[in-house]
Amino acid sequence: MLFYSFFKSLVGKEIVVELKNDMSLHGTLDSVDQYLNMKLLDIAVTDAEKFPHMLAVKNIFIRGSVIRYVHLPAEEVDVQQLQDASRRDAEQAKHSTKTGAAAAAAAGKGQPTKDTRPDQSDKVAAS
Amino acid sequence: MSAPTSTLDAFYGKKVLIITNDGRTLVGSFQGYDQTINVVLTDSSERVYSSHQGIQTVPLGAYMVRGDNIAIVGEVNEEEDAQLDFDAIKAEPLRHIVH
Amino acid sequence: MLPLSLLRGAINHPVLVELKNGETYNGQLMNVDNWMNLNLKDVICTSKDGEKFWKMGECYIRGSSIKYMRVPDEVAEIVKADMARNKSRPDKRPGSYNNNRGGGGGRGGLFRGRGGGPGGPGRGGGKSFRGGGYGSGGDRGGHGDFNGQASRE
Repeated sequence: MLFYSFFKSLVGKEIVVELKNDMSLHGTLDSVDQYLNMKLLDIAVTDAEKFPHMLAVKNIFIRGSVIRYVHLPAEEVDVQQLQDASRRDAEQAKHSTKTGAAAAAAAGKGQPTKDTRPDQSDKVAAS
Repeated sequence: MSAPTSTLDAFYGKKVLIITNDGRTLVGSFQGYDQTINVVLTDSSERVYSSHQGIQTVPLGAYMVRGDNIAIVGEVNEEEDAQLDFDAIKAEPLRHIVH
Repeated sequence: MLPLSLLRGAINHPVLVELKNGETYNGQLMNVDNWMNLNLKDVICTSKDGEKFWKMGECYIRGSSIKYMRVPDEVAEIVKADMARNKSRPDKRPGSYNNNRGGGGGRGGLFRGRGGGPGGPGRGGGKSFRGGGYGSGGDRGGHGDFNGQASRE
């Protein structure tokens, strides 16, 4: 959720997204969700010569799973804040893993894995 | 938290272009989607790109594309799209998405 | 229109399924569940390269292995019309989209047709997904590949 929050703070800013098919495009970040799916406005493909596929396309939805990199506008990123939040997140994850495992052990049932791995719970909830 | 995929609502009834993980380009009228981004298109067609000839259009009709095979869904500006000279647009086929 | 509504509406109609591994399955949709797992009958399976065909009476396809599905245009129209109708009616029942107005198999030959030559315009030197699944049908005769694809030559 940390990077979800992080990207939410970049809404309205110009970013460059490189996809896992080597296509790279830039546009204004319009919205982002928990899977880091993104909607970009007024996009342009970086190498339009090689990728003329979206010449008449301005607003796009990108599936988070196909994004390789996001180039960030350096001046918009508060590195200190990001570091602090990362530490807090890691600390929290450690605790919730412990309590999750303890709860699972106490329950003694055969379905603890989903509770002990918070990164999976999103997918479970969404599917 | 805002609904995860609410951003696709803006595409209802519009002409959209989908780039799939296997490098295809599909164009069609956006009819619906679900939480895994499975998408329904009607009046769809595939645009086949090639480096030695212009874009070929292959009609496909009503299509359901599974979300895990979708890379991009984009809204097509129909006016601009109509201006494009398909015979003159040549490009290597897109690569597959490699995770 | 929810994707699964469309598929439920396509029950008893011919569909074309392409799997992630490139194989295509043409057959009549018998059932679909919430995970998009399918049951087909009277199936013709085409290998990724379009060279080989298998006929099978029935088959089950796991939803997560599907890449695309093509359904008859009239199914989309019927489902759309049903949705509009159900919207204005309070007691809408999910799954009621499967009705057979218009007579079961529809115009029957939807995905049938004449293939042209083998393969499409080879995309990117041989690693094409679409070699023969499309357009490879004609001269092998009568296995019910779908139309339109062949014009790509």
